[in-house]
Amino acid sequence: MLIGIPLEDKKRDTVKPKDCAAEMSAYLGTVASKRCKVSFSKVFGYFAPRLRSYALKQMGNEALAMELVQDTMSNVWQKAHLFNAEKGSPSTWIFTIARNIRFDMLRKLQNRKEDVCSDDLWPVLCEQTADPNETSLDQKVTLEQVGQYFENLPLKQKAVIEAIYIDGKSQQEVADELSIPLGTVKSRTRLALQRLKEMLREYD
Amino acid sequence: MIRFHPTNQTLVSFAEGLTAPNESLLVSAHCDMCDQCATRVAALVESNAEQTFNECIPSQADHALGNMLDAILSRPEASLKRKVIPNQNLLTIDGKEFHLPASLQRLASQVGDWSHLVGKLWQAPVSLGGKNLANFIYMENGGGVPEHTHIGNELTLVINGSFEDELHHYQTGDYLSFNHLYIHTPTSNAKEGCLVFSIIDQPLQFTSGWAKLINPLSHLYFKVSTKL
Repeated sequence: MLIGIPLEDKKRDTVKPKDCAAEMSAYLGTVASKRCKVSFSKVFGYFAPRLRSYALKQMGNEALAMELVQDTMSNVWQKAHLFNAEKGSPSTWIFTIARNIRFDMLRKLQNRKEDVCSDDLWPVLCEQTADPNETSLDQKVTLEQVGQYFENLPLKQKAVIEAIYIDGKSQQEVADELSIPLGTVKSRTRLALQRLKEMLREYD
Repeated sequence: MIRFHPTNQTLVSFAEGLTAPNESLLVSAHCDMCDQCATRVAALVESNAEQTFNECIPSQADHALGNMLDAILSRPEASLKRKVIPNQNLLTIDGKEFHLPASLQRLASQVGDWSHLVGKLWQAPVSLGGKNLANFIYMENGGGVPEHTHIGNELTLVINGSFEDELHHYQTGDYLSFNHLYIHTPTSNAKEGCLVFSIIDQPLQFTSGWAKLINPLSHLYFKVSTKL
């Protein structure tokens, strides 16, 4: 059923971001905690049209502008738990996401081959903890996981650890084999073990 | 104390996401180390955000946006998960370890092998892609790069330690931009040497003595390294 647009809706929406920051923060909170669709549509209703107007000016192309709005708002919907009202306002957070997506879009459009993405520069959308579902599970550190941490070690440390703890060689043997001083083998072993310990502690 | 910073114009463009990817990477790494620039960028982003959304828009319903809202809400959950790439926050050269700023940590897992160049100079290439050459360069105490100029632009960030050239003393956190007008002979007299990260859009041009003679060779070093 089609309903005529009431007259007062033709007014322009002039609410400033500062005036609705507290309200929008609260909506983002319920999106994060309850996946509340009503709250999200409030956030969407305020930011999406403004983002579109910004994107149109920046990209000069309706389709690209809409892509930017959609990508940004999809991230807001799915990553609302990463918003932290103590660190900044909703408008700053959403602007940052849009700016990052635009940075990556422009990089692709200009066919730039540099391997630099917005996550490196402004990691607003990177998960702080591994995964909320994972941490709630009571997991034990398995050998396989230690193996993963092992993969993160610098190459030179890995080689020394492998030779000593997997092949069972002595430190002197490793030093002779790699033609490096014994002291270097010792320090690499110590640093590698220290690093592994750190990674395990981070996991805890 | 950090003495060399990106220009104000660079920070403004960076905050808007308009600097080139390589430059962005160095500015970002500098901000990891420099509170002053980080604070300035945060303030710029905040005022950009304020300006962007401080706009009056017609408040009638919009079909295209309405459809978009439905599409977003019906998308499968977690379809936007980002790959978590293992970061490496330490860089090891010959048994010495250096802490890296956050912005460079993902790249550090892609560092090629360290090679010993002339004198007390070490170099490890980073595959950034594109035409630019990115390298970690480490000068041991007393080591340095022979006198050279720059054909293109060179951006350098001092990660740890200090070095000097004919004009200045540079230290941890300094953000340096050298162009073709700048001829210098960097040397490190710091006890722990000096680790820098540098992006050049053309190979260095050596200008003096024996280094000039081996120029084709060093040219090769720098050039070959990017293909790793």
